[in-house]
Amino acid sequence: MITKSRLNRTQLIALLLPGLLLFAAFTVYPIIRLFWMSLCDMSFSSMLTQPFNGIENYKEVFQDPTFWTVFVNSIVYTLITVPGQMAIGLFTAILLNGIKRFSVTFRVINYLPVVTSWVIASLVFRYIFNTEGLLNYFLWKIAGVTSSNIRWLDTRWGGISVAMILGIWKGIGWNMVIFLAALQQVPQDLYEASAIDGCGAWGKFVHVTLPGIQGTILFALIELTIGGFNVFTSIKMITGGKPAHLTDTLLTWMYYKAFSTGKFGYAAALSFVMALSLGLLAIVQFRMMRNRDN
Amino acid sequence: MKSLNGAKIRGMILRYFLLALGTVIFTLPMIYMISTSLRPNGALYEYPPRFFPKWEALTLENYSYILNQSKFYVNFLNSAFVSLSTITLAAAVSSAMAFVLGKFKLKVNKLIFGFIILTMIIPGTTMIVPQFELATKLNLVNQLWGLIPFYVAWVIPFSTFMIKGFMENIPGEIMEASWIDGASVWTVYTRIALPLASPAIASVSIFNFLTAWEEYPWANTVINDTSKRTLPIAIAGFFGQHQFTQWGYVFAMSVLTLIPVVLIFILCQKFFVQGLTAGSVKG
Repeated sequence: MITKSRLNRTQLIALLLPGLLLFAAFTVYPIIRLFWMSLCDMSFSSMLTQPFNGIENYKEVFQDPTFWTVFVNSIVYTLITVPGQMAIGLFTAILLNGIKRFSVTFRVINYLPVVTSWVIASLVFRYIFNTEGLLNYFLWKIAGVTSSNIRWLDTRWGGISVAMILGIWKGIGWNMVIFLAALQQVPQDLYEASAIDGCGAWGKFVHVTLPGIQGTILFALIELTIGGFNVFTSIKMITGGKPAHLTDTLLTWMYYKAFSTGKFGYAAALSFVMALSLGLLAIVQFRMMRNRDN
Repeated sequence: MKSLNGAKIRGMILRYFLLALGTVIFTLPMIYMISTSLRPNGALYEYPPRFFPKWEALTLENYSYILNQSKFYVNFLNSAFVSLSTITLAAAVSSAMAFVLGKFKLKVNKLIFGFIILTMIIPGTTMIVPQFELATKLNLVNQLWGLIPFYVAWVIPFSTFMIKGFMENIPGEIMEASWIDGASVWTVYTRIALPLASPAIASVSIFNFLTAWEEYPWANTVINDTSKRTLPIAIAGFFGQHQFTQWGYVFAMSVLTLIPVVLIFILCQKFFVQGLTAGSVKG
């Protein structure tokens, strides 16, 4: 075929190589290197020799109580923000799917938080959730639902809540757009058939909509789970891990260990465990997707 | 029949009401940011806090402060340089890779594609430690242009994945005819594949632009000099510089940073939706 000619072969390789080299050097190599670093003593004092020390870093990670605190934080963050933004995004998409006028306007406005950078959005939320800030004033003095200012930013679950509210707020638009596209692919006659069978709105949602958009739900689940564990900038900007690392997540804690205490081996082991478990989780989810297709 | 229509109309009204309500709640943080940027810095610690500033207190002093500092222009140009270089390079190398992976059955294809998928399912920040070591070895720390190869490498998997899907849908006959005419791989890539895949490349480039424009963790790790800062680190640095954060400045700078992004988003809305939904519906 065409690939037999030498000129064409050279050209094919020339097209592949630049991207491949960049990708290999700056993404694939660091993954492999990460694994190797996780097996070496990489603290400041041993930086030059970097002796192999087996699973010592992993032991240190798993015996560290702070690791378990930040692990729980990351799990809670993901378990709440992922279904939260999916549910609200899907609900918005269903509302949008039923209207004709202003549909684009609503879509554009609701997508704006997605394009707002994490640094800016985090600072806005930090300002709103300040102890003497706007939200507390509203809750206490105007709505009357609290009887004092909530210390959002310097308690464990207060800080995490702010980050979670931000995460949901910022993610709804993305979910809305992909679910809207999925809803438009659900065959209209299925809805008509279910109406004849006497299905109400809820019945249609459970028996027609949900099965019809299963693939997109799984896709969103994979993407958002990875995103949930990738949470970093919002925590760094909103609480900075304070008080006493109680609000840190896996990545902000890993970052602190590496760049503030010089424990690169510990950080590498923690990162590798994360990458591996999320990779496996994604493979399981991909399998589920493929099984559904067959 | 009449009651059915009544129910339909009521349903419509409910939809619009819920959407409008949701949209208002949803946009409050952004409106608050803009309103805060428009009031004097001293008023920001006033109690009770106000959602809208007093009419007579409205001021552009935060904006004139930011715009009178040469620092802001440096940060802005730094961000523009890094983002534009990233999307240009990424478009070039990813479309070439996507063309080969999507249109030819080479033995290495599966392996390359496997690695691409693999890196897409690992959170990027987990690699920050070995990447920092790599940047140190290659002397890319505290170099503005040193950000570019990392950004390009990060967006390659997603970009290649998206453009490849698009290339696969180009009908085989179009290329077949060129092979028979004796066209080379390079000619087919530049004359046929690239023009046909340009919508996909455009949509991917918008996403890549956003990624580079707003990237914080990596830039914050490798850039030290104030003159080399991109906008996100400059804003983050503004906050927490003094004991009392000057929120007026922070938000004025934030608004100025968001303007290009929002403009691009509104102008390129169609490409955006295409890019977002391409991967999700098929899956």
